[in-house]
Amino acid sequence: MKTLRIGYIPLVDAAVPIAAAEFGFAEEEGLNLELVREVSWANIRDKLILDMFDAAHMLAPLAIATSLGIGHVKVPLAVPFVLNFNGNCITLAAPIFEKVCTAIGRIPADARESALGLARVIGEERGRRDQPLQFGVVFPYSTHSFLIRHWLRLGGVDVDRDVQLIVVPPSYMAASLSSGLIQGCCVGNPWNSLAVDAGVGAIAALGAEIASRGPDKVLALPQRALEKDAETTFRLVRALRRAALWCEVPSNRRDLALCLARPNLLNVGVGLIEETLSGGIRVTGDTFRNCGDFLLLGRESTNRPDPRHARWIFAELAHAGHVALSPGGAANAGAVYRHDVYDAATREPVAPMSGDAVGLSFGPSFDGDDLPAYLDALDR
Amino acid sequence: MAYSHALPCTTKQLYSGVDLRAAGCMTCQLKILIVDDNPLRATIIEDGLREAGHDNVARLPDTENLLTRISAIDPDVIVIDLGSPSRDILEQMFHISRTVKRPVAMFVDQSDSASIRAAMDAGVSAYVVDGLKKERIKHILDMCISRFNVFSRLLEELSEAKTALAERKVLDRAKGILMKANGIAEEEAYALMRKTAMNEKRRITDVARALITASDMLEGGRR
Repeated sequence: MKTLRIGYIPLVDAAVPIAAAEFGFAEEEGLNLELVREVSWANIRDKLILDMFDAAHMLAPLAIATSLGIGHVKVPLAVPFVLNFNGNCITLAAPIFEKVCTAIGRIPADARESALGLARVIGEERGRRDQPLQFGVVFPYSTHSFLIRHWLRLGGVDVDRDVQLIVVPPSYMAASLSSGLIQGCCVGNPWNSLAVDAGVGAIAALGAEIASRGPDKVLALPQRALEKDAETTFRLVRALRRAALWCEVPSNRRDLALCLARPNLLNVGVGLIEETLSGGIRVTGDTFRNCGDFLLLGRESTNRPDPRHARWIFAELAHAGHVALSPGGAANAGAVYRHDVYDAATREPVAPMSGDAVGLSFGPSFDGDDLPAYLDALDR
Repeated sequence: MAYSHALPCTTKQLYSGVDLRAAGCMTCQLKILIVDDNPLRATIIEDGLREAGHDNVARLPDTENLLTRISAIDPDVIVIDLGSPSRDILEQMFHISRTVKRPVAMFVDQSDSASIRAAMDAGVSAYVVDGLKKERIKHILDMCISRFNVFSRLLEELSEAKTALAERKVLDRAKGILMKANGIAEEEAYALMRKTAMNEKRRITDVARALITASDMLEGGRR
């Protein structure tokens, strides 16, 4: 039995590696997964590149940024498995959510209504605010920051003038909404639902409403580790794939939620986790919203790394000003996503990758090839 | 800030007890900020840094408006506890130049992973002003590593002491039960428990706990 140390952040989207460790899928592959709970993405990154972890649950944009040297560290990482699509929400602090409701005359029914409502509130208050609205995201390089930008753009809000994105750790999100440090945030569940439960905020948009297949967390490992021992990675990928398919079976949700809820894992109520897994999300008061695609853990081809997603992340990082767009950068980003490793490990038949990869509801389609055209379309 | 190079404060000097103040380290007045929610540990680190001649040490106990407050302090080196989720807030310093004036680079230099690994093992991370020579901060990091380890040892000792105290209480209670039930002296009660523990190959505290549980059940049954 080979032991692998895997770092993770306590989020519902860490379900697949946790299920692999807890429900025997890793054992079937001769692996003992030692899951290590971490408190920051920076810890995850540093422990991974210092070989203190064998693999990690990681923000997809952090895996791309680290590989490309965007920021201050450059260590090539490999992504042989995608852990989920979607699973995030945009939550507004209670006072500004009330203003949005007043502006549109009701509780917003979807992401479009809340975006337009917020734009109206921002427009009315322009000039009266001494500083831009502050929105919390979990890391400078995160799907969360991309989603907020797309959502604000839909309402015609100038992301750089009217709003400031600041990093707030998930565990501080509800307190920061309550104290007024931030007026909104984009974070993975259970943190949105916890803010709603605490009465400090309301969910204004589901991530899946903004991008139907929004890349989110991946399993990452240093490329040199993959090269040194590909066979172990194959075993890990197979274990994760079986765990992911198990997680997707509705009748397994209760067992999965009970497991994730344990104090040594996510340490939150079983009910909130079940809501997240089933996509029946309480957005405020007695208002629920149902979204079958709220969180994808293994359906369709979720787990197979699609290099177009890596290039989309690169394009989004460029659009946010973190990196200059270049064909070389796009190619390097795409190379981080190792569908070849996934295919060799699982031997599943491969569906062709074509058409729109991300499914932005309010933005241009993204086919993965023409990045400059995509950025132009975003700016139009 | 004066960047004239003083005598290098090497790890060796630090541990051999050389008075670094006398060795001329007064000129290397880097401003060091400790971000730590644990006041005891922060004190231990601050004391260590001051003893090593670093008089310019600031502390931030919590994380409200962390970036704004860091910007006001304007440190050259930031030392942060790895157990703090606020590390991700610091990562933002590399992007928001309007919040923190000077670019800061983390002391994760791939050429010195052994030192960084030692820091991560100890539970500490550091961020430094870009351009600072690695040698200038190595001893600061080494100091923090050793002080973090000191703190961990203190915690371990504290927890051991607590366990010992708790076990002592369990033994005393079990002894009392035996003395009352069998009408025997304290030494005899202890000897009886020890003998039982040896015969059953169990720890004496486990025997004592079992005795207390059994006694509680009998008492409860009588009520």
